[in-house]
Amino acid sequence: MRQYRPSAMRQQKSQTVPQEPNLVPIMNLFLAIIPMLLMMVVISQIALLALNFSQGESGVSYGQGGGGGGAKTEKVEIHILGEQYAQENNTTLGMEIREPGFKPMTISAINGYYDYVTLNKTLQEIRSRKGTLSDITVLVHPDVLYGDLMKTIDICKVNGFTQVHYTATKVEYY
Amino acid sequence: MQILDKLKSSNKSERRVRKKFEEAKGLSITSLMDVLTIILVFLVKNISTEVIKISAEPNITYPHTITNDKLLEKAGTTPIKIFPDRVVVGTEALEYGSPADLLTNAQKRNDLLTYLKKEAEDIIQHQKAETCLLVQADYSIPCEYITEIVRAATAAGYSYIYFATLEDADWLKKYSVSLAE
Repeated sequence: MRQYRPSAMRQQKSQTVPQEPNLVPIMNLFLAIIPMLLMMVVISQIALLALNFSQGESGVSYGQGGGGGGAKTEKVEIHILGEQYAQENNTTLGMEIREPGFKPMTISAINGYYDYVTLNKTLQEIRSRKGTLSDITVLVHPDVLYGDLMKTIDICKVNGFTQVHYTATKVEYY
Repeated sequence: MQILDKLKSSNKSERRVRKKFEEAKGLSITSLMDVLTIILVFLVKNISTEVIKISAEPNITYPHTITNDKLLEKAGTTPIKIFPDRVVVGTEALEYGSPADLLTNAQKRNDLLTYLKKEAEDIIQHQKAETCLLVQADYSIPCEYITEIVRAATAAGYSYIYFATLEDADWLKKYSVSLAE
């Protein structure tokens, strides 16, 4: 009878544990892709404000588009007055709301900052009077900051004035 | 004597038995793989080419707004970024110059108009989409520069203009608090 050494006997039996799939290459792939995607991902949420174009207002005419224009039966205007205009005309810095049939209403700035809280309340009042009106025009002076323009347009949209028209008091070149 | 010692040392009963070491176990990375797979799926789902196009610029302070209008689904977008010191135009991020050039340099204005016209034509003819201009400007930029860009875009035939902001539903409340203080 042939005798085997104990170690040789063990080697003949299939005692090996079932091997796990080799995940290392996939891991390497993931470790390459994920940092790349993390670099591309936008952490902060960018919002967008759509603009509508008005036509032939305040000496400036824009092309028609973006669903703007429409019937000009009722036109509410918000004039954002700049510092230069306020100094030249001896008026206070602020905003002026012009509504047909009403006297122009001035919302003075507080400590040099535009009063958006009062603007919001005023637009709520206009909204309660004119429930179906969706058009509003924002007229800006050249030295008004972009951020102030965006906040004004935002308040208009919050109060249901979805068609915001943008006009400016400047000579056009094109 | 030496032979006896050798025989003694070769005795099986006294042979030192070497203890068998357990094989070192491989690092179990299955759970890590699961986590990475979830992250990968999440990132792939959230990333699109449009997001890349309107990614936030670290050097621009965006104004905060409550509303968030959706970009048209079938829109060819031309981004224009207005930093406090420079203007970058188009998806290729072409350096335009300083914002002041928009007002003081007539040649630069014409160049911008020409570029936007070509972009608009390209979007209409090749992409068969609506022409959109996406303005990403710093909070402190005077509106006169924005106005010039809007004028150029409308003159070039852009149908839609969007402004990039940061969404913040509470900015008005925070503003009223800061005004009261």
